[in-house]
Amino acid sequence: MQLTLDALVLGSVNVVLALVLAPLFEGILRKVTARIQSRQGPPLLQPYFDLFKLLGKEDIESGQSPVMQRFAAYLSLATALFVAVLIPMGGQTPFNANSDVILLIYFLTLSGIATLLAGLAAGSTYSLVGVSREMMAMLTLEPLLAVAIVVGAVHTGTLRLDGVLNGSVYSAESFPLAGLMMLGIVLFALQAFVGRMPFDTSEAETEIMEGPVMEYSGPKLALFKYARMVKLFVYCTLFVALFIPWGQTGFYPLDVIVLLVKVSVLVLLVTLVAATHARYRIDQVIRYYAGLFGLALLALVFAVSGW
Amino acid sequence: MAARDVLNSIKKRFDGVIQRVDVPADNRLYIYVQPEMIKEICRFVFRDLDARYVISIGMDDRQHSDSFIVAHDFSFDRLNVLASIMVNLPASQPRIDCISDVVPGANWAEREMHDLLGIEPVGCPNPKRLVLPDGWPEGVHPLRKDVPWNYVPPDYDETKEYDFGAVPEGCVVVPFGPFHPTLDEPAHFRLFVEGEIVRGCEYRGFMVHRGIEKLADSVLTYNEIPMLAERICGICGCVHSVAYIQAVEQAAAIQPTPRAEFIRTIMLEIERLHSHTLWTGLASHILGFDTLFMQSFRIREPIMWIAEKITGNRKTYALCVVGGVRWDINAELKKELQGVLDTLEKEWTQVVKAVKGDRNLQARTRGVGIADKKLVKDMGLIGPIARASSIPIDCRRDLPYAAYGHVDFDVIVEDGCDVWSRLLVRVREVFESIRIIRQCLEKMPETPIQLTIKDDLPPGRIGLSSIEAPRGESHHFVVTGEDNRPRRWRVRAPTYQNLQGIPAMIRDQQLADMTISLGSIDPCFSCTDRMEVVDIRSGEKQVYTQEELLRLVRQRND
Repeated sequence: MQLTLDALVLGSVNVVLALVLAPLFEGILRKVTARIQSRQGPPLLQPYFDLFKLLGKEDIESGQSPVMQRFAAYLSLATALFVAVLIPMGGQTPFNANSDVILLIYFLTLSGIATLLAGLAAGSTYSLVGVSREMMAMLTLEPLLAVAIVVGAVHTGTLRLDGVLNGSVYSAESFPLAGLMMLGIVLFALQAFVGRMPFDTSEAETEIMEGPVMEYSGPKLALFKYARMVKLFVYCTLFVALFIPWGQTGFYPLDVIVLLVKVSVLVLLVTLVAATHARYRIDQVIRYYAGLFGLALLALVFAVSGW
Repeated sequence: MAARDVLNSIKKRFDGVIQRVDVPADNRLYIYVQPEMIKEICRFVFRDLDARYVISIGMDDRQHSDSFIVAHDFSFDRLNVLASIMVNLPASQPRIDCISDVVPGANWAEREMHDLLGIEPVGCPNPKRLVLPDGWPEGVHPLRKDVPWNYVPPDYDETKEYDFGAVPEGCVVVPFGPFHPTLDEPAHFRLFVEGEIVRGCEYRGFMVHRGIEKLADSVLTYNEIPMLAERICGICGCVHSVAYIQAVEQAAAIQPTPRAEFIRTIMLEIERLHSHTLWTGLASHILGFDTLFMQSFRIREPIMWIAEKITGNRKTYALCVVGGVRWDINAELKKELQGVLDTLEKEWTQVVKAVKGDRNLQARTRGVGIADKKLVKDMGLIGPIARASSIPIDCRRDLPYAAYGHVDFDVIVEDGCDVWSRLLVRVREVFESIRIIRQCLEKMPETPIQLTIKDDLPPGRIGLSSIEAPRGESHHFVVTGEDNRPRRWRVRAPTYQNLQGIPAMIRDQQLADMTISLGSIDPCFSCTDRMEVVDIRSGEKQVYTQEELLRLVRQRND
């Protein structure tokens, strides 16, 4: 097992794609939201400007533990980018030989940990409320993607990324019941994975003043915001890789465009749901996730039984 | 004779206790009673006659009657009577039996009386400081006549902090405010939270007192006060201006011109329209439903424009003078206003349809911020809060004023006692307001809009006025005085009572429901905060005192 040049190049290209395109999708989200609300909305490129502006500001140390706070901001963006390295974006799955789905699941969980660290570092009452909410949400939400991945693994009998990601959730011996169930479940949970309304309980500006992020400003806030944007892009891409990988031409640039179209559709969906819902309370959120998790376990049983 | 009936039932029970009675009209009643009996009479009026507690007013009348006067105002909503039960207290030792164990909603008013006038409520269950800043020395009572309006005691201690009570066991303190994204104005709630559940709270407000009442009885004149009155509140200013003017007119027995009454009604309803649409937006924002927030504000905007076209201002209408109004509504404005109403009705119908069918909104608002009938009665909660608990009180119908006696409208009532019901009450009231304005526009008589008043207003007369503001009843108490200004003017904004219901409404609820519960009373802190300003701002390395700030400001101006 060794790193191949191909994998390195492909992984790096993924990172660049994620970094360059994520703010654009955020811009689309904001623009569409504005149109739904009868507003003009900011320019499509506003998220880029926002990031540049924040990155250029003074870097203030604040909160109870400034070192941990800085680390949490780095970790947040880094994990989102590592996920980007692992999943296919138009081309092959990079690092097939050196990684597997377990690593992917780890990184997905780690991004939640970054939020927890951020909240703990701030040490204020509101951020701690945010931390406790995030923790509760993580415990019930994170297993969903893991189950979806495992369903694929069960069907293919491998933990290799390319094997599991390439729509293998459907490759049951007979009717792909488990795969379709997971498609629905993860679609319903997508909003929560990307931390948007109505599931942004752990940041809830009007309740707990952005919770864990409340002590952040300047460049560190930029990193957190960037991570949030990258997460939106990466989770949508992961969804595409897991559930709708079709339409590949084999011609890389064209495949990237196909991917972007699919991601755009998902982003629009996220936007629509976010713009038409009020924020749920944490107990309502947990009940919702728990319901989905129950269904996901059922799907796993089906998958093991060959459906 | 409704007022006489009330008087007789009190007389029957308390023969010989009543010292003096004044019944200036069929709907007003002023009774002077023996101070020792005040608590029993209040209990009788509040519990047995089932009157609604409005407010208690303290007044320094030493120059005229060598006494302090305390008035407890009650409203007999079904009989259309406002009553004031008054006592004279000796100037040397102003003490009065506390009534807040009988009438829980009187707690704030009594503490305020103690702070501002030094009238001691004997036996008060919670005698903590309410209005005065923490460092204000004991024994200085700014609303007394011998204290100048701009007086700052030399031993005022800016650094002193408020002494909060003990935290209940097992709870952590979550400080809510004075600065919080959903609080538009400063107020502090010290929430005691166990996990995500709020177990109790302590309130410290009155951070932006402006000394408006003091200015009115020492600096301004009758027709200047409405300008200040409408700046009491940033949203329902017209309400305060009309309420004040009506109280003065009533005290001086002046009947404004008929057309003026219709124009006041129209402007009050325009204000309700913009306030309710604003509230719908803000409540949605609190719940994170920004689309409804934006749409409400878009729909609201034409109302602001037409208000500006009629009065010259979006918000502060500068409408009232004693005996009339300043602005007329001509044929062109009438037509335009009707157009605005038509569009509003159409768009609001869609909003209401969408809101009513929204299960997501219901999930966040049903069963939240419960104010049951007992709480409403005890605390004197009013407006949409009371109506959402199926208590049909509405001053427009119960204590008719301006032109409300000439128009048809329904009092909207819901029975959920929760935030959802309050939401429904408010969105439905918009249609009633549209109905009222349309009728007013049709029925408006062609008369002058102002009276010419040549004589001085007679001093020493009392006027009470209650107006149904968007948030509930706004009550003004005026005693006319010398020098073309009142002796005492007391403003009781609706939030003053509604806010006292909040601790009970948020108890044992999720922390997440705190903001919308508070939001559901449509709180207006500036209306509630009413006395001297003392303001402390902390810079990064240095605490600026008010004096230093003033110096800084003046330097820049020079």
